[in-house]
Amino acid sequence: MVSATLRVAFAVFAAQVRDRPLRLLVSIGAIAVGVALAAAVHLVNESALAEFSRATRELSGSADLVVRGTRAGFDEALYPQLAKLDGVAVASPVLAREAPLVGGGSLPLEGVDPLAAAAIRPALYGELAGLYVALQEPDALVLSARAARELGVRQGGTVAVQGPAGARTLRVVAVLPEGATGRRIGYMDVGSLQWFAAGLGQLSRIDLRLRSGVDPARYATTLRLPSGVDALTPDVEETRASNLTRAYRVNLDMLALVALLTGAFLVYATQALAVMRRRRQLALLRALGVRATEVRVAVIVEGALTGALGGLAGTALGWMIAVLTLRLLGGDLGSGLLQASTVAVTARPVVLVAFVLLGVFVAVAGAWMPARHAATIAPARALKAGDDEAIPGPVARLPLAGVLLAAGAGAAFLPPMHGLPLGGYASIALLLAGGVLLVPAFVGVALAHAGAPRAPIAGLVLARLRGAIAQSAVSLAAIVVSFSLMVAMATMVHSFRDSFERWLGEVLPADVYLRLAPGADTWDLGPAEGAALAALPGVARVELRRTLPVSLAREQPPVTLIARPLGGEAGGLPVIARAASLDASLPRAYVSEALRDLYGVVPGGSVTVPVGGKPVRFAVAGLWRDYARSTGSIVVDLLDFERLSGTRRYTEGSVWLAPGADGEAVRAAVAARLGGGEALQVTTTGTLRARALEAFDRAFAITYAIEAVAVGIGLLGVVLAFAVQALARRAEFGMLRHLGLRRREVLGMLAGEGAFMAAVGVVYGLLLGLGLSVVLVHVVNRQSFHWTLDYVVPIGSLGIVATALVAAAAVTAGLTGRIATSDAVVRAVREDW
Amino acid sequence: MRIATLLLLLAALLPGQAAQADGYPEVRPGTPVQLPADAGSHPAFRTEWWYVTGWLSMPDGAPLGFQVTFFRSRPTLATGNPSRFATGQVLIAHAAISDPARARLWHDQRIARAGFGIAEAAVGRTDVAIRDWSLSTEGARLHATVPADGFGLDLAFEPTSVVLNGRDGYSQKGPATGSASYYYSLPGLAVRGTVRRAGVPVAVTGRAWLDHEWSSAPLDAESVGWDWVGLNLDDGGALMAFRIRDPRGAVRWAGGTRRWPDGRVEALAPAAVSFTPGRRWRSPRTAIEYPVEWRLGAGGLALELVPLMDDQESDSRLSTGAVYWEGAVTAKAGARILGRGYLELTGYGDPLRLR
Amino acid sequence: MAAALLAVEGLVRRYRADRPAVIDGLGFTLEPGEWVAVMGESGVGKSTLLNLIAGLDSPDAGSIRLDGRELAGLDDDALTLLRRESMGFVFQAFHVLPYLSVGRNVALPLELNGVPAASIATRVATVLADVGLGDALDRLPRELSGGEMQRVAIARALVHRPRLVLADEPTGNLDPRSATQVLELLARTVRAYGGGGLLITHSRAAAATADRAVEFDGRAFRPLSPG
Repeated sequence: MVSATLRVAFAVFAAQVRDRPLRLLVSIGAIAVGVALAAAVHLVNESALAEFSRATRELSGSADLVVRGTRAGFDEALYPQLAKLDGVAVASPVLAREAPLVGGGSLPLEGVDPLAAAAIRPALYGELAGLYVALQEPDALVLSARAARELGVRQGGTVAVQGPAGARTLRVVAVLPEGATGRRIGYMDVGSLQWFAAGLGQLSRIDLRLRSGVDPARYATTLRLPSGVDALTPDVEETRASNLTRAYRVNLDMLALVALLTGAFLVYATQALAVMRRRRQLALLRALGVRATEVRVAVIVEGALTGALGGLAGTALGWMIAVLTLRLLGGDLGSGLLQASTVAVTARPVVLVAFVLLGVFVAVAGAWMPARHAATIAPARALKAGDDEAIPGPVARLPLAGVLLAAGAGAAFLPPMHGLPLGGYASIALLLAGGVLLVPAFVGVALAHAGAPRAPIAGLVLARLRGAIAQSAVSLAAIVVSFSLMVAMATMVHSFRDSFERWLGEVLPADVYLRLAPGADTWDLGPAEGAALAALPGVARVELRRTLPVSLAREQPPVTLIARPLGGEAGGLPVIARAASLDASLPRAYVSEALRDLYGVVPGGSVTVPVGGKPVRFAVAGLWRDYARSTGSIVVDLLDFERLSGTRRYTEGSVWLAPGADGEAVRAAVAARLGGGEALQVTTTGTLRARALEAFDRAFAITYAIEAVAVGIGLLGVVLAFAVQALARRAEFGMLRHLGLRRREVLGMLAGEGAFMAAVGVVYGLLLGLGLSVVLVHVVNRQSFHWTLDYVVPIGSLGIVATALVAAAAVTAGLTGRIATSDAVVRAVREDW
Repeated sequence: MRIATLLLLLAALLPGQAAQADGYPEVRPGTPVQLPADAGSHPAFRTEWWYVTGWLSMPDGAPLGFQVTFFRSRPTLATGNPSRFATGQVLIAHAAISDPARARLWHDQRIARAGFGIAEAAVGRTDVAIRDWSLSTEGARLHATVPADGFGLDLAFEPTSVVLNGRDGYSQKGPATGSASYYYSLPGLAVRGTVRRAGVPVAVTGRAWLDHEWSSAPLDAESVGWDWVGLNLDDGGALMAFRIRDPRGAVRWAGGTRRWPDGRVEALAPAAVSFTPGRRWRSPRTAIEYPVEWRLGAGGLALELVPLMDDQESDSRLSTGAVYWEGAVTAKAGARILGRGYLELTGYGDPLRLR
Repeated sequence: MAAALLAVEGLVRRYRADRPAVIDGLGFTLEPGEWVAVMGESGVGKSTLLNLIAGLDSPDAGSIRLDGRELAGLDDDALTLLRRESMGFVFQAFHVLPYLSVGRNVALPLELNGVPAASIATRVATVLADVGLGDALDRLPRELSGGEMQRVAIARALVHRPRLVLADEPTGNLDPRSATQVLELLARTVRAYGGGGLLITHSRAAAATADRAVEFDGRAFRPLSPG
């Protein structure tokens, strides 16, 4: 019987395609858009991560262990110690520096011993070993193919780099072949780079190849390493990278799935429409002896085929979007979290197949209820005239909704799992599901309170809606889902932005800021520079700071240690909790919220931080809010730090203006006084704020885009639902026209229904969305990024979007009414076969 | 492996065809080699090596050939860089076992930048090491420790005699006096120790030969390769002979040293040395053809050189970049075995010279 | 002539230029209060005729005058108002709004005509009683049988006392017993409410309930041939 059923399905499907190809295209398109979004986001993330892993592997090569401190590096004395260990076959010392380029930008430089490096990673460093002699010249530089291309230099050319002692010209003695590395990087001999970049005695990394038979992970634990230096297996390196971005990526994946979910409602609407239109054909099939289950299977198979086509198209589209996105935004989708270089879209075939199947699954889910309905069509009745039975909607299941909502509320209190706010996501999913189940009840309440208007048209609208609450609820589900999630996301982002903006005001009290370019380890600020700045005209006060990454735990990304003058109090830090009492014998530290979440460090407790190669215990005086570093930061007093580390070098500074001084003039004077060129960034507070906010908006631009698409799909769902009903009600409109309703009155009636339902949906979505936003802000955000936000609802923009949605729904409902009031409709009163 | 690039490296690391020594010390006649002081490294010179070759016999009497070599190279002159990495010195080591019973040549190599105690060549005494490979002085003896890939050598060498080659150690390598090296040999080293093959240790005894040579420009531009042999003669004497070939295969220079059992040493003039190639063997790996059997006339001796096994080709493109034949040979006069030693044939593939 | 309820002259309706006209030169008159059964083969244009009279379709030629008022010059709004005030319709498929109670369904024409609420209630109650559904005011259509539903439709068609009632196969979906009852009720009620109109039907029995019966072939009304 299966073959008979399938034949029915194919016959039905083929008939539909021939009959109304456009309608099928809408169904396929809905699935395709949802799948494309989900696939694109997923592909971009996966590709970026794969690229990051590749880059990491390339860096560490076939090293069994990578010994690394933070960017500031560690004493090279560790190198011979490790190299001479019994378990170590080869140790390869590496000094990594980011060199500011004269004329803008910077170039990552890696100083290696090519001979040792080649023994670990011949594919890359073998090339350098061949250039060993040439690289011994202090100014010899080997560029990767990409670096050479982007810098526009060739072998024999030169690259001008900002060194601590001023600009230096490096000679490009060779350019590596394209296949050696995809990174934009320059290689020097480790000795040359130490000398050039004022890194004598310093290393950033030691790659180890162990003797065969030595287990890297176990061996790593036996190594005695200075505080702040870790031996990691390359796997752990990857874990670090993915930890850093996982929360952001999961957020985007969830959003993409929402778009897909909304697409499922769309399929539901179109399938319901298809069943509606063909109820008599289906009834005839039933009358001719096709069993109810077979009709049901036929409709589901039809949905599955729609889904397969949509899934295929969507996966292909998603691939194209991913390629474009990676080209335009980079592998981190603008979040700035991954410093991966050129990223090519990579995906395992199984993932692509999974996305096609996802489309099928969503389409089948959408076709399920219409299929059930198609199977329950009473043939005799449907074949008879006047069967105005409309598509059924889901009935309100209050107890189930209550259970879901309660479970959703409960899930919000779960702790993070594997560093991910899985409880938060479960909570959102459960609240959404429960919320959707409550839609009919809410619509009922709304209609009950709508009263009894005098105007006959309005009366008809309300009567019609009251008479078909279930149907109306179905048409609302898509918009409720997408709008509530939009409200939730918008509220979270707005809260974040609002908090961020206020935070910027608190952490940027001065007028001009200077700091070393990111990774510009080739330049330094010392006390002399501080004094020189303070003496500049227009400068009232200068504060210098030191920031450096430190590693507190093996598998966590580094934490930023900030040494700055704290004075008596927290020195203007946005502190949100203070210790009741402090161990006065210890130096003070203020930790960011991430320290509390990731390391369990609380005010009143203590935290041990490597300073100057030694572990130092600090008393935690307070918790401060740091939106700049989601992996955590620790603020200590600069005097303590200088005493403990024995260094007086700085990486950042703030300049306060004397009354009446011009910010831009002082900025220019500071930049001119210090020199340093590109290595030093000197900015006014205004510029810095603008840049920070711009970076923020860029990071969330993709979020807005996905939201917009989801809401668009939701709106499309509403339109289609109205189209379904308009078609189903053609006879009704025909009769009303006979009764003496003007064409525009019929249109108005439909628009009224659309507006009313959209208004109900938007209000409900708003309420549900605000509930969800609480989970997003206080659970998902907190567990993903480890900082708290002040909850702020973007009333204005939500109001505008809500109004626009209602208007759009009214207009589109009215437009679908055009079908309903066409002349064909008049004849529909006699559609009696 | 990027063989071509490594060849480039070695072309630079090892003395090039342009035998210029700009900035490096020159080898001059009249500066005699002084032992034991000169047993150590001479870091100012461009190239230096300690080359131990010999025959071993296992408890069952079966023979093995072995070589352990440490090269020191100073590819660049001082740059003024204070970094501890900027030593300007590179060390390279080779080790090989010729195993006729298994018809197998075991070999391995190391290369490292000198410094940090990871790779060092001491001044004043023979003490050179790359990571866990070393050739060191222990009292009167030398000791080689070479835990290599698949095999290992742990051998003690008892010197029995010293030979300063050429004129008090000044060994001319070409028509110009500048083409020369300081060169002494320790023939007749008594060997005792352990050899590991595939993890299985076996006790060995035998006789070996050490060459220690340093120079800044031993070969001139007209030289493309050489043939060298060092033989411990069964009568207690020793013979070293070499010839340098030009691109056409003609002899550009030759020389050698004959040590009589009574300790008398005679430096051999170019005319006193003649190499006549005999049977040839083609390497299946590199397709290079080597004359593996020779007729050698030197120091009044007429010898036939017969290899312990044909395949003793050293493919050291991973470290020195050279492909050459370095193998154990037996010196015969008719059916009579007069001695055993090592033969080195270079420059038969690419025109690249090692010594 | 001025007294005629409906006067049709030279009516032509042609859907496609390359096909014969569906209605070709039809002319007839209907006196006030006259209830005429129109019979004809399927496809002769009975439904087209009803649409033209209802002002939902416009003729290619000819005139239709309702109470002496020419429909041809009226716009859609005017036609709609004319339908609202002066016409009542009964369809084969009932077309009772499923989401409105019986009472609200019947009240629709009065509401559309702006009749005061108090008056609507009594008039709806009266007309429902007249069609024998006096107790069905608050019931929903799905609770009714087909015959009952058609009675609701009749009540709705007559509640505003239209001048012209157009019934299109009103018994097509009913069993013969209900059909007879509905037809008798329709004829009786149309007369009682002082209207006239056309009853499109296939059935001679149905035609027998009308004042007179004609046969329509697209060109003219001819007296029904016996048999």
